[in-house]
Amino acid sequence: MTETHRNERELRTLLKEYPMPQAEAGFYDQALARAAREGSRRQRNRWLFTGFGGAVAAGLAAWVVFGLLLGTPQPADVDTAIPGVTISLETPEKVNLVFASATALDVAMLTITLPDGVELDGFPGQREVTWETSLKAGRNLLPLTLVATSGTGGELFAHLEHDTRSRTFRLRVDIGKDIG
Amino acid sequence: MSSPDDSQVFERIVRPHLDRLYRLAWRLAGSKAEAEDLFQDLLIKAFGKLDELAGIEEPGAWLGRVMYHLFIDERRRYTRRRLHLVDEGQLPGDGLNALPGTDDPAAGAELAAKLSRLDAALRQLSDEQRIVVLLHDTEGYKLTEIEGLTGVPVGTVKSRLHRARARLRQILEDDGTFSRAETCRDTGRTMP
Repeated sequence: MTETHRNERELRTLLKEYPMPQAEAGFYDQALARAAREGSRRQRNRWLFTGFGGAVAAGLAAWVVFGLLLGTPQPADVDTAIPGVTISLETPEKVNLVFASATALDVAMLTITLPDGVELDGFPGQREVTWETSLKAGRNLLPLTLVATSGTGGELFAHLEHDTRSRTFRLRVDIGKDIG
Repeated sequence: MSSPDDSQVFERIVRPHLDRLYRLAWRLAGSKAEAEDLFQDLLIKAFGKLDELAGIEEPGAWLGRVMYHLFIDERRRYTRRRLHLVDEGQLPGDGLNALPGTDDPAAGAELAAKLSRLDAALRQLSDEQRIVVLLHDTEGYKLTEIEGLTGVPVGTVKSRLHRARARLRQILEDDGTFSRAETCRDTGRTMP
């Protein structure tokens, strides 16, 4: 037997022995429970995102419309072009983001990144929330309930990825000093 | 909210495959944190497709394919995280200490040292080569199973496997783990 063959044989023996730790006790149960929780939440969000539904408090919500043409060059961002909303401290306020898409987009990933001191109602302490969604051709509504907890606001980013294309939308969120 | 029935149906379908999927996640991602993320991401995605999953004849193979494509599609994310997570306890080598010991401590130490060098050598392979060699030579997947999982034709899988083994041998010869092979060029022939 040549040295090459001896080494080949030893390599295969080593590869068979190459270790891998077992999952920790309870990991599977936790993972299954989280999958059920997260999976159903994503389904719920997908439904909210693609449908207008009857829960929109149109008179109270701010509406922000983003034109969505994935794959087209983005013009340089200009601060003055960023739409903005003003919300009050500790008061949940609904902001409706409307994505106008020329075509239907299946399995897109949407990530909302929040400025300091602003939270999404129902996601306390999370600066970033990502979920899978689908867009229909036309207008797609994403109602977000924002809660200002501190600070003066900043920019909210809505980053949408589909296949290899992506767009990031910006929304200025100001926190008003006066409540009511 | 999902109904309790959905959760039960989901668990009944996927639980028999969890061990194999966990191992696959490890072999794909290469470290504990990323493997567990990948495993979790798969389950979340699969739960969202419960209706489809319930009608599939071989859910294990389907889940494996989804996991593989999830890894490939989001490799950058997993790789990026891998660069930042250097907690010693989360590296693949942490399994070395848990290896069943032999009665001969010296032999055990030698094996552990070789496996540690193998671990380092595997990290020098491309993801494609590393995944193929681990699935075939470590996990015992057949070539056709790897084709089914990855969508890569058997011929390509074989050539990746061959190149991966040759590269590993070379690395392990260079670092002294293996004796240096003959000075004549490797013919590329492998053992049957």
